Amino acid sequence: MSNKHQSWGWMLAVDFFFAGAGGGMLVLAALVELFGNSRMSLAGNLLGPAFMCIGCIFLIFELGKPFRAWRVFMNPKAILTVGAWTMSVAIATAFVYAAMALPAKAFPLNLLPFDPIVWRDWVWAGKLLAVVNLITGLVVATYPGVLLGRLKGRPFWTGPGIMALFLLSSLVTGTAAHYLCGFVTEAPSVVVWNALPGVFALLLMFQLVLWIGYLWIKQSGATENEAAAARRWTSGDRSLAGKGAFLFLGTLVPLVLALLPNPAAQAVAAALVLFGGVTMRLLVIKSGDDRTYLPGEKRYNLRLPNGDEAFLHKSAH
Amino acid sequence: MPRYAMVIDTRRCIGCHSCTAACKIHNELPDDMVYNPVTTVGPVGIFPNLSLSFLPLLCMHCDNPPCVDACPTQASQQREDGVVFVEDSKCVGCLSCIMACPYGARHHNHATGTVAKCDFCKHRLAIGKLPHCVATCHQKARIFGDLEDPESEVSKLVNGNRTVRLLSELDTQPSVFYIY
Repeated sequence: MSNKHQSWGWMLAVDFFFAGAGGGMLVLAALVELFGNSRMSLAGNLLGPAFMCIGCIFLIFELGKPFRAWRVFMNPKAILTVGAWTMSVAIATAFVYAAMALPAKAFPLNLLPFDPIVWRDWVWAGKLLAVVNLITGLVVATYPGVLLGRLKGRPFWTGPGIMALFLLSSLVTGTAAHYLCGFVTEAPSVVVWNALPGVFALLLMFQLVLWIGYLWIKQSGATENEAAAARRWTSGDRSLAGKGAFLFLGTLVPLVLALLPNPAAQAVAAALVLFGGVTMRLLVIKSGDDRTYLPGEKRYNLRLPNGDEAFLHKSAH
Repeated sequence: MPRYAMVIDTRRCIGCHSCTAACKIHNELPDDMVYNPVTTVGPVGIFPNLSLSFLPLLCMHCDNPPCVDACPTQASQQREDGVVFVEDSKCVGCLSCIMACPYGARHHNHATGTVAKCDFCKHRLAIGKLPHCVATCHQKARIFGDLEDPESEVSKLVNGNRTVRLLSELDTQPSVFYIY
């Protein structure tokens, strides 16, 4: 019983996925604005901050006391607080940036007697917002990895490697999401949009190499606890999901499909990238169940009741 | 200002779990929560040279507590006397502190949605009494006191014996010392 729900659940993994993908979308849109003198699709620019909002909702539901959620802004020394503040700023500035591309005659703006988006034609505002979005997007894409990497008692997470993996995954899922959004509303630059499969194929290649390296280093690594946690990915109970669902279906297959000169194959690749991103986070969060146990602690926990024992039911009646 | 610490003499502990029971009963802990388990280490060795020992565990009330830094709401706090505790009204149950604690000393209270932990029975310290686990230990395996006071028993034990602190390599600087 004492081990029940003593670690994060799937909702935090989903929060990390949406926040990371949203952050990645902001970074890509900002880079295209600043260095490509163009913009991503309107749907993509709106979906980035919307993803982060969805992530926030999952984070709030993960809390034991959702109605006190505002308190997560209170400790500037905590990574979660830094993440919450940065995500709030990113959501606001990203929506302001995305609004620049909203048609003045679109609903509900057409109901107003004036155009409320007065900054629509301010080029400098677009550049300034892009700079803010680039910085906040990078922080949002990275902070879950920093949060996990600092936890010394969780052998699979500890160390800076997990930060790089989360940043990379955020960028690749953000790029894939932008590509899919190009099917919904046309991107101003077809050249940029056509280049996206190549970008996420390159990022997927890095992801594959980095993950193989990460698992290999952990397995042959510093402590027996780290090796044991990694073995669950390579040959244990998480190997089917880790190697099959994430590395093969969520990384290798989309890598191959993205290189095919076929938009349908590339769209499937982008969808698989998103599947791989959420699978990876679910598995990584689940890996946090493995703690650095103290002498005899594991055996002690095994002896504790599970909650379904007959004598407990008897006492309840 | 005192600096509270606990010394656990594992040579005296007989694994009776009195401390576990006393803590659980007096602090009215839920069924699924144990603040201070006593684990069994061993038997180790080859017959007839076998040995068995018991390891009482609890919150280490670290000088450098990772749980306090991890808490986004400032519900996890450290007093000047070293006691690390959770202010329940500020806790959102994000479990960050549970994940940050390498000793597994924090617990999610499923009834309240918040996190709970050993606080060295600070309500008893305030009236000059010892924590329940110390007061109940008939083997005197748990010794509690002010580390800053050179005349205190804990100070003498820490300075006069070979003591270890669990997971010292993590630089959390626990206030719980073990003599073995």
